[in-house]
Amino acid sequence: MPGTVHIVDDDASFRTALERRLRKAGYEVATYACAQQLLDRLPDEKEAGCILLDVRIPGLSGPELQKRLAELGSTLPIIFLTGYADVPTTVKAIKAGAEDFLTKPVTSEQLLRALEQALAHHETSRSLKAKLDALRTQLARLTPRETQVFELVVRGKINKQIAQQLGATERTIKAHRHRVMEKMDVQSFAELVSIAERLGILSRTSGEDSQA
Amino acid sequence: MITRIGGLIVGLVAFMVPAELPAQQQRARSILFLDQSDLRGPFYYEIFVSLRERVTADVQSHITLYRESLDLSRFAGETYEASLRQHLKEKYRARPIGVIVAIGSATLELVQRWRTELWPGVPVVFGLVDQADVERMKLSPDVTGGTVRLRLADSIQAARAVVPDLDSIAFVGDDWDRQVVFSGWKNEIGTAAAGLKVTELIGLTMTELRQRLATLPDRSAILYSAVYFDGEGGFYPPAVALGFIAEKANRPIVVASETFLKPGGIGGFVLLPREIGADAASRAVRIINGEAASAIPVAIVNAVRPIFNWQQMQRWNVTEADLPPGSEIRFREPGIWERYRWQGMSVIAAFLAQVALISILLHERKRRGDAELEARQRLSELAHVHRQAIAGELSSSIAHQLNQPLSSILTNAETAELILDSPSPDLREIKEILADIRDDDLRASQVIAHMRGLLKRTPFELKQIDLNQVMRSAFDVMSAQGTIRDVALYLKTCPEPLWVKGDRVQLQQVILNLIANGMDAMTAMSSGRTIVGRTEIDDARVLISISDSGSGIAADKLDKIFDPFFTTKQQGMGIGLSIARTIVEAHKGRMWAANRSEGGAAFFVSLPLSTP
Repeated sequence: MPGTVHIVDDDASFRTALERRLRKAGYEVATYACAQQLLDRLPDEKEAGCILLDVRIPGLSGPELQKRLAELGSTLPIIFLTGYADVPTTVKAIKAGAEDFLTKPVTSEQLLRALEQALAHHETSRSLKAKLDALRTQLARLTPRETQVFELVVRGKINKQIAQQLGATERTIKAHRHRVMEKMDVQSFAELVSIAERLGILSRTSGEDSQA
Repeated sequence: MITRIGGLIVGLVAFMVPAELPAQQQRARSILFLDQSDLRGPFYYEIFVSLRERVTADVQSHITLYRESLDLSRFAGETYEASLRQHLKEKYRARPIGVIVAIGSATLELVQRWRTELWPGVPVVFGLVDQADVERMKLSPDVTGGTVRLRLADSIQAARAVVPDLDSIAFVGDDWDRQVVFSGWKNEIGTAAAGLKVTELIGLTMTELRQRLATLPDRSAILYSAVYFDGEGGFYPPAVALGFIAEKANRPIVVASETFLKPGGIGGFVLLPREIGADAASRAVRIINGEAASAIPVAIVNAVRPIFNWQQMQRWNVTEADLPPGSEIRFREPGIWERYRWQGMSVIAAFLAQVALISILLHERKRRGDAELEARQRLSELAHVHRQAIAGELSSSIAHQLNQPLSSILTNAETAELILDSPSPDLREIKEILADIRDDDLRASQVIAHMRGLLKRTPFELKQIDLNQVMRSAFDVMSAQGTIRDVALYLKTCPEPLWVKGDRVQLQQVILNLIANGMDAMTAMSSGRTIVGRTEIDDARVLISISDSGSGIAADKLDKIFDPFFTTKQQGMGIGLSIARTIVEAHKGRMWAANRSEGGAAFFVSLPLSTP
């Protein structure tokens, strides 16, 4: 699976060796001598990618960089590479969402498997995010009244109830409902509920929302 | 007057008739001493002196002594004898004589003849008379005395002693017939000198004699009896004649009289005049004190003994061991040691004291050297142990340092394999990879070399080393540790090399210890951990400083931190700085600590600069 691997390591020789190997495996490679360099030119999240991060690097350390990236909303999976893996550091990194934790020296096989997995994860989460983004875009296209109707519909309210709650005729509600189905590009009511679920609309308390 | 050696005194007493009447008479307390000499030689004089001493020593009452020398070796004949008799008769007419002492056979013979006329009834004591003569003369009962045995065989034995490979002897003396003491030797030559070549230098003039004696063969000895005449009308006492002879003689001269030792005789079985005099004196005194002469038997006097001249022995290379048993040595020249005994003793004592002092000092010096050596060895051992401790602390960073190149090598090797598996391998890339592998390998071996240098147990050795290099190497070793512990290390070395005479491993240990201490001091800090190393030349000394950005050292502990087992760390032994200071002092250097005004502590090491 093609993608870009971002290598952050202070050891130039290791960077070169790794870059060489990963290019042979078909990856795009970007290298950084320290954490700051990566922060200075953040990778494009739209491409499939992964960060290979040394734990101990001068300046900002590996785990610190991980934290900063999370703050910046990066979805790039991080594989830690370290010459010296102590348990607390490992546990902390994994808890903070690290994809994997490898100990140097690492065989290509090990590394490539980890990379493949990480990129697959990234791919999945990336497409998931893309879909959600699309849904959010669709949702944004609804008028406020349509949004209200949408939120009530997915909570199982029938037209009559909605009309009563919104102070409209049943026929008007029916027309809104039809437009929501159209705008959200769904054929069935079940689909609409599923989208609401994914967008987290169902977890919101309906009362507040309805009044907002 | 002829002395003869040999013969036993047997049965002599049987001839003697007790002379009761004279014994009862009151003896005159006087002795007339008659000898045959001419008054000049020492021999008869010694006999007389010895006799006189004995007589004087008799405390009963005073004894008057008269002495007459008959000069029989120079004068002889009836007329002379008659005149002598007349002279003595007149001279001693009014002198009562208690005892006549006659020395020599010739004297005894005359006394025997004259006695009836001159000294009727006066007992006679003789000395220096050969046993054979005694028998021949048929002595009266009131004549007693001591005989002597002077044998040629003894003299030849003495000659063999001083010339071990003796093959010839030369006799030197007057005509045998004129000899007063040694005439008996003539008959003995045949038996005593058997197997030896015998030269008789008898009756020669002194001039001739001296010439002949200067050219004697090597394995020969001279046997000197006595020379009175020089054959040219001159007379000598034989001791004086011997002096002339000895001047020219080229061989040792064996003599038979004690008085010949000094003028140049090497020695031999010699006559002792004092023994003869003493024997005669004791006999005479006993008679004067009332004993009958007939009651005192004739006996051999022990008057011949082997005596040698030490100076002559030196000249002829004769050692004491060569001499006949029981020999006496005369005129032993006191050696330097005997002469300067006390001075020598003091010098030796001073010398010995000095030797003792020097030995003690050398011993002390050696002990001090040993102690220093041991101290250095102990320091080396302790330093080694401490280096192992440092190495232990550094192990994680060492592992890290090794891991880096190993990881690169692994990845590169796998990539190379991959490339080679492809249908058309890119050899240029392979080459690049191999170059990288080589570089990494070198990097790894350098780490190991550093480590080994740190763990090496080396004897303390002083070498010319560049402290800048030592500093760089120490900072290299600590760089990984710096990464791990998040400490920034900076090293600012002065541009010129810093030559010092020192032990590289131990000095590096000092620096490593200071860096590690600095890191420990900053553990609690959240950020900004920095260690700065500096080297500079300061007035013929090298100054190293290692400073940290920690909280510094409490002022009251600045002095104590170098004490053994003083530590401010939770897990410290407190020996690192103490060892470091000991090492620095072993390099004639100084080490101290100070707090920096901008915060943190600084450690300084100052070592004497040494020109390479």
